[in-house]
Amino acid sequence: MRKLIALVLSLCMVLAATSAFAADLKSGADIYPLNSDKTITWYSQDSHNIHTDFADWHDSPFHVNISKQIGVNIDWVLPTTGADGATFTNTLMADPANLPNIMEAYFMDNAQQYLDDEVIWDLTPYIQEYAPAYYAFLQSNPAYDKAMKTDDGRYYAFGFFREDGGWNDSYQGPVVRQDWLEECGLEIPKTISEFENVIRVFKEKYDAVFTAAFSVRFSQMGLSGAFGGYGNLNSGYLFYVDDGKVGIAQTTDEYRNWLKWFSGIYKEGLVDTDLLTVDDTTVKTKVETGLSGIAMTSMGQMNLWNNEMENNGDGRPWIGIPYPTADDGSLYSIFGGSGIGSITGVVTKSADEETLKLCLRALDYAYTAEGFMFWNYGIEGESWEMDETTGLPKWTALVADDKSSDPMIKYNGTTWSGSCIQATNLLYLKNSQASIDADDAWFYLGMGRDTTELDKVQEITSGHKWPTGVTFTTEEADELDLYTANLGTYIVEQCTNFLVGNTDANDDAAWNNYLNGLNQYHADRVVELRQNCYDRYLSR
Amino acid sequence: MAKKVVTNAHYKKLPLSKKIARDFSHNKYKYLMILPVLVYLALFCYKPMYGIQIAFKNYKVTRGMEKSPWVGLYWFEAFFNDPYFWRLLRNTFTISGLTILFGFPAPIVLALMLNEVKNTKFKRTVQTITYMPYFISLVVLCSLIKIYSQQNGLISDVVAFFGGTKQNWLQDPKYFRSIYVISDIWQGIGWNSIIYLAALSGIDQEQYEAARIDGANRFQQMLHITLPGLLPTITILFILRMGSILNVGYEKILLMYQPTTYEVADVFSTYTYRISLGATSGQPQYSLSTAVSLFNTIVNVAFLLLTNFISSRTTESSLF
Repeated sequence: MRKLIALVLSLCMVLAATSAFAADLKSGADIYPLNSDKTITWYSQDSHNIHTDFADWHDSPFHVNISKQIGVNIDWVLPTTGADGATFTNTLMADPANLPNIMEAYFMDNAQQYLDDEVIWDLTPYIQEYAPAYYAFLQSNPAYDKAMKTDDGRYYAFGFFREDGGWNDSYQGPVVRQDWLEECGLEIPKTISEFENVIRVFKEKYDAVFTAAFSVRFSQMGLSGAFGGYGNLNSGYLFYVDDGKVGIAQTTDEYRNWLKWFSGIYKEGLVDTDLLTVDDTTVKTKVETGLSGIAMTSMGQMNLWNNEMENNGDGRPWIGIPYPTADDGSLYSIFGGSGIGSITGVVTKSADEETLKLCLRALDYAYTAEGFMFWNYGIEGESWEMDETTGLPKWTALVADDKSSDPMIKYNGTTWSGSCIQATNLLYLKNSQASIDADDAWFYLGMGRDTTELDKVQEITSGHKWPTGVTFTTEEADELDLYTANLGTYIVEQCTNFLVGNTDANDDAAWNNYLNGLNQYHADRVVELRQNCYDRYLSR
Repeated sequence: MAKKVVTNAHYKKLPLSKKIARDFSHNKYKYLMILPVLVYLALFCYKPMYGIQIAFKNYKVTRGMEKSPWVGLYWFEAFFNDPYFWRLLRNTFTISGLTILFGFPAPIVLALMLNEVKNTKFKRTVQTITYMPYFISLVVLCSLIKIYSQQNGLISDVVAFFGGTKQNWLQDPKYFRSIYVISDIWQGIGWNSIIYLAALSGIDQEQYEAARIDGANRFQQMLHITLPGLLPTITILFILRMGSILNVGYEKILLMYQPTTYEVADVFSTYTYRISLGATSGQPQYSLSTAVSLFNTIVNVAFLLLTNFISSRTTESSLF
């Protein structure tokens, strides 16, 4: 039954056009603007940073206009330009008496403690009356509702939701040079053996290798899904769930098979030996000079590669290809997510009850039909207008002719994250066609946008990921904080050595030695604690 | 003379409060001058020490100092029982030791060599060129190192020219420490030699003249006049350097290390960074990182005192 609901919902989400989705939202026309003369303070970590063209938020149309749209004065608190957002949040939190009224940051893991310590408001008694649009939106999808409350059912946050249900969460994956494929008479590789063959042929013909920026593009998933793995080498990808059970992704036999395969091709010289140290910029240079013809990257980076190669007269050769499957066609997981973000907006106790009600109204605006349009596109007639042919919004010259990078963030608030709903159409407007095609190839597993197998898509892109919105108790968080950093370091360090062949993944003694070492880092206890949290989450 | 003795005797009879008042009125400008320093020390060195109690509490920022419960030596125990403790200790001492062993004498040698150069134009040029790397931002410097040490980078090219094999040098644990120490010397040698050059200019030129008359050659002059003249400066700087033996430049290591070199590169400060600010999930571990830093400081002070003690026994130079 649950699967059926998920299927129906994702069908609705993906097939429904933007306007239809927006129409499902409650109208706030009779509520906004509020005409309040009060001022609320609103902090945002990384979600609504001002465009580099502006000195501060007073110049930024989005930050100024939102006050008028909602009808309350908003005093924005944003991390100093160039400062690390997380550090800035920590600094703010160190002075709990003077927190901004609304804070958009990472609160989910420790929500229970923040509620118990009375740092943030329990919204449950107020949410239906003062945030009716958001409440209705949460009730429309059980997965959303589940993620936005604690185990004991207290609402505390306004979340970030992607209208596409996770399409944009799969923003990176394998890419290949189409011109080389054609020159060599090769098809787009579907299985991991075909994938390996392409690397081999390219190596032979062009002396090119497989490459990727390790820390930002390759360490999360790599191609481990083709072997039945649930993650690669990133401490953010340690835990997976499968059939209600929590496990550590880097301990399964399937994962070991991935290490065996990769260290094999690494040893043969088919992989860039700079893999572990290169970043996006270095990879771009390598790619442009023909050192690689098959790689992993993001849709934004691929677009950059194509742009620069086009300027050099080399055309736009790079295309995204679906994640390779095992030779029997099976695929366990790819880089992706559920479309629910982990940054949420909360109301802190610095707001008294009256201010809280005002804050709820202010936050609720983003989930109304009118607010959805404003948060995604800005003010109609100013930054966007309706496209008569598609029936969807498009940018006016104000945005379309702006040559700065990501000009839409001057007018909208949903480009990165925040307490809002991100329109899929916005992503289509933001990215090049090749990038959109690449994301389609990754997210829809090569089945195309019209596929009916959306439950399979959901299962593979986010079904095995640690879900967004699980909350730990204060005691659990204390214990996990103590163990998790070291456990992550141990796993990443050991497995990286397997990956590049410093330790032999085929050697049973070495592998068992690694597995036995896990106990020293309290791996069993960490999994046990996580399992408890996950069970509570499931029974919400 | 007689009058002054009377005044002193009279002064000694005064009560303490009067003595202080008189001292203040006599030296009011000196006290005024020292005031900013005292305020600085109180505000920036002593007031923050209040925060050391975090190491003995289960501190949560949102609870504040008062409401966080005391936990005794819990965090120290957790740290000493940490599987990484011994590795961190070993790496910290090795990297720091190597930096002192090779990095400390390097500017002295440079200063001595520059001192022997008679052509001022050449001397100034060398000085300027050796200073320059000091002003390169660490992030830029580490990017340069990363690019140079790639498989097709500068180092590989040089090695290949002499018949070696090309490889990514930063990825190999064998070379990490050498790259760290050599780049450290390269960046700091010119800057650190300034203080020695200043000390050299203070050496009495007549001594050299006398030595020349006695028939000492230039090497003997350096050994018996220049080096002894520099010794007090060297000793003081060495004692101070030993006082920061556990402070390894963590930004540089953070920028340069990756999983295959953790084994030789992970030190206390990078560990502290990972569990506090760099935490990938959960809250920053303020208590644990404060405990580690406190441990760091205690070891540093111990080394400072030890070196100072040995120095005061064997030479005449010491801090106190």
